[in-house]
Amino acid sequence: MTDSSPITATDGSLEQAPATGQPGSSTSRKVAAAVAANFTTALPYVLVPVLYVLSLIFIPGYFSKVSIISLLILASLLGLASLGQTMTIIAGGIDLSIPSVIGLSDIIVTQLYYKGWSLPVIFLLIAAIAIVIGAISAISSVLLHVHSLITSFGMSLVVSGIALEFSNGAVTGAVPGWLTSSVSVIGKTGPIPIPSIIIVWAVASVLAVAFMRLTRIGRETYALGANSVAAKMAVVRSTWILIVVFAISALCAAMVGIFFAGYSGIPDPTVGQPYFFLTITAVLIGGTSLLGGRGGYQRTVMGALIVAELTTLLVGVGFNSSFQELALGILVIALCSTYGREIKIAAKI
Amino acid sequence: MPPRSEASGLVIDDLSRSFGQTRALASATLRLYPGEIHSLVGENGSGKSTLIKILSGVLSPDSGTLIWEGDAPQLGSPSSAQGAGIATVFQETLIVPEMTVRENIYLGTDRIFRYGHRKGEELAGARQALSDLGLDGLDLDRPMWTLSLAERQLTTVARAMIRPWRLLILDEATSALDAQQRDRLFEYLRFAREQGKSVLFTSHRMDEVLGLADRITVLRQGATVGTMPVAQASRRGILSLMSGRADVTDVADVVSAEKGLDRRGESERQQSPPQRPVLRVEELTLRATAKPISLEVRAGKILGLAGLEGQGQVEFVECLCGLRRPADGRALVLNDNGESRSVRGYRAANRMGVRYVPRDRRYEGLFGPLSVFDNFAVTLWSELNQFGLLRRQQARKRYQQFADSSRLVAASPKRPISVLSGGNQQKVLLGRWIAMRPRVLVVNDPLRGVDHNTKEELYRLFRRLAADGVAIVFLSTEIVELLTLTDQIAVFHEGSLVAMLPTEVSSDTDVVAAMFGADRQHDDRQHGGANG
Repeated sequence: MTDSSPITATDGSLEQAPATGQPGSSTSRKVAAAVAANFTTALPYVLVPVLYVLSLIFIPGYFSKVSIISLLILASLLGLASLGQTMTIIAGGIDLSIPSVIGLSDIIVTQLYYKGWSLPVIFLLIAAIAIVIGAISAISSVLLHVHSLITSFGMSLVVSGIALEFSNGAVTGAVPGWLTSSVSVIGKTGPIPIPSIIIVWAVASVLAVAFMRLTRIGRETYALGANSVAAKMAVVRSTWILIVVFAISALCAAMVGIFFAGYSGIPDPTVGQPYFFLTITAVLIGGTSLLGGRGGYQRTVMGALIVAELTTLLVGVGFNSSFQELALGILVIALCSTYGREIKIAAKI
Repeated sequence: MPPRSEASGLVIDDLSRSFGQTRALASATLRLYPGEIHSLVGENGSGKSTLIKILSGVLSPDSGTLIWEGDAPQLGSPSSAQGAGIATVFQETLIVPEMTVRENIYLGTDRIFRYGHRKGEELAGARQALSDLGLDGLDLDRPMWTLSLAERQLTTVARAMIRPWRLLILDEATSALDAQQRDRLFEYLRFAREQGKSVLFTSHRMDEVLGLADRITVLRQGATVGTMPVAQASRRGILSLMSGRADVTDVADVVSAEKGLDRRGESERQQSPPQRPVLRVEELTLRATAKPISLEVRAGKILGLAGLEGQGQVEFVECLCGLRRPADGRALVLNDNGESRSVRGYRAANRMGVRYVPRDRRYEGLFGPLSVFDNFAVTLWSELNQFGLLRRQQARKRYQQFADSSRLVAASPKRPISVLSGGNQQKVLLGRWIAMRPRVLVVNDPLRGVDHNTKEELYRLFRRLAADGVAIVFLSTEIVELLTLTDQIAVFHEGSLVAMLPTEVSSDTDVVAAMFGADRQHDDRQHGGANG
């Protein structure tokens, strides 16, 4: 039998098991399993405060508004970059073009603003370019029957080529002052004493979670990622969904590129490079499965916070960047192995 | 015939093999002597393929005796079976399309660092084998994908032939061959028999079984129900053994009880005015060599589709729901005003109200990690959304309606669908389309792996749908299901529709006979060639 999962024999009856007076052992086993399942599901939510407390313990003088804000800026940049990535991964794909889109957007802002273009025009131009990049990754993946891993990687090379050509080795550029303050620790958003990137991230997070939960495309994204063949049979609009999530991913990357431009003020096409793996790390640590159809952006928010906290903690206690990568790698493997277990336990109850 | 001793040849006693809850092979017994051609017959799911897979080392038995040439062989893998002199040609033509004919024939004989044979040897061996099969002119360097299906099938036979075999197993290895190619192959098999080799073959064509075999063993529900020399076998006798005519009274009772149960519903249905056709098939041709099919399904009727594996019924279903383009002809869907539109593509067919429930639940139907509710509602959102935002309240209402009426056993719609039983999963997959008010519901073997009680509930569900005016096309591999549920049974053989049996007056023997291409008085599209 290929069609029924091994647990089918226990169907319905097991839900009623406690009520019909099953032996205590099986009930307690179920409770233990439920605790285990909930524990691994809750793990990223637990890790965020735990890592923060560890930072407080190990980094002298860490408890300050400045350190919290700088932590949140770090997490915001990663969180925004991973927003679309979460969606592409839930849809069963992956977007490898994020770093180069960040780089291109950074170049365009710094160069065109330097040349005196108006900001709304620059932003609209960047948005349009991002949508085209995302759509090409998605459409070519569908038409050529190639995984988006490959098409988006190809797009990534094309886009970095364009970014390098466009920057033409320029080292001068300009950004508006408010953009600089939006990613500065002492930045303000109107009267609120918080830099605007954090506000932007918070609003985007709420929108992204609502999008995945409350819209047709959101629900169909999960279906597509869970089983693309079944999605076709259920007339889910696979191509349209991929275009939307890859466009969102590119838009988010473009937004991060703009913030990066505010950060440094000079053109740098390679500024997004660390995000090649960091976005995937944040998604995975949060607990969204690379297999697709499982997870959500609320988890990636935790993932981004964990990565930011861990980086801060390791830097704070004096470890170098190679050690940070090593630690992140171990964390990814350790956490994802528990998530894998969670699926089986959850299925058994 | 050569002397027969138990020390040589194949002895199988009480062999069994289960897959989870399913006993594919319960108690198989078989004697196969050197210098004998032996035919293994049985309906779909009778255990033939399982037995053959055990003999060729693909599967291992759970219990029982298997003795080959005097001792119990270690058939742990296909290569160890080949080492024991057992070569198998499988039902599916297992080829590597990109490799040449020669490479395909010698596939698996290579060593690690060098070819097992020199190229010259390979060419000579391959040419010899193919010429024995009547394919003298075939270019050995042609890539496999350029060959016709029959040529591919013969190539897989040649692959078995070049092995040093003493037992050749052919599992439906003649399904794609024409009469001439088949005769050539049989000639070779008879020649091998003269040399004291053994052949075990299965075929869906009764004339082949009676024409080639020395003895016949019949399997039913995983157990051997009889072995006889071909001289004592008759077509009718074998068919009734296969369908279990000895205890056919049980099956008939069940069926008539079911029909009796349904009388009330049917008489209610009769009172309503005659329904108009909603699906019309015009001169639809599935394969180049098959006869065109024309039929009509009226609203409220259930059309059953039957046939042995690979006889065209699955292609027919795929043509109906737009997953496949017919070689010729078309399928039309009629709307309430009697206007017809032909089926072009899956989405378009779906929009016209043709809803398809695929065969393989896990790979084509279920969204494993998603909840029961999400699995149910996935098709609804195209209707239940406002500017892309979900109207969850409505969807929940429809879910509740469906769960109540189908007696869906799911403690909570939020649980992952993978924890439901096969039958309840199937209910959800059906509910997905029922909630979308299908005009034509096309279901591909929906009761596969469903336990008995849930089966009853699904029967009721289908009947209620039909009573509501849905036309149902119901493909099943279980004849009892078709006799229980459908109004008419369309039987397929070699890509053609060979019989249209009114369920009221048909028995399982009628259906089985038609599946093997036998003559039928109900059959006005007579299938000329295959007769025993």
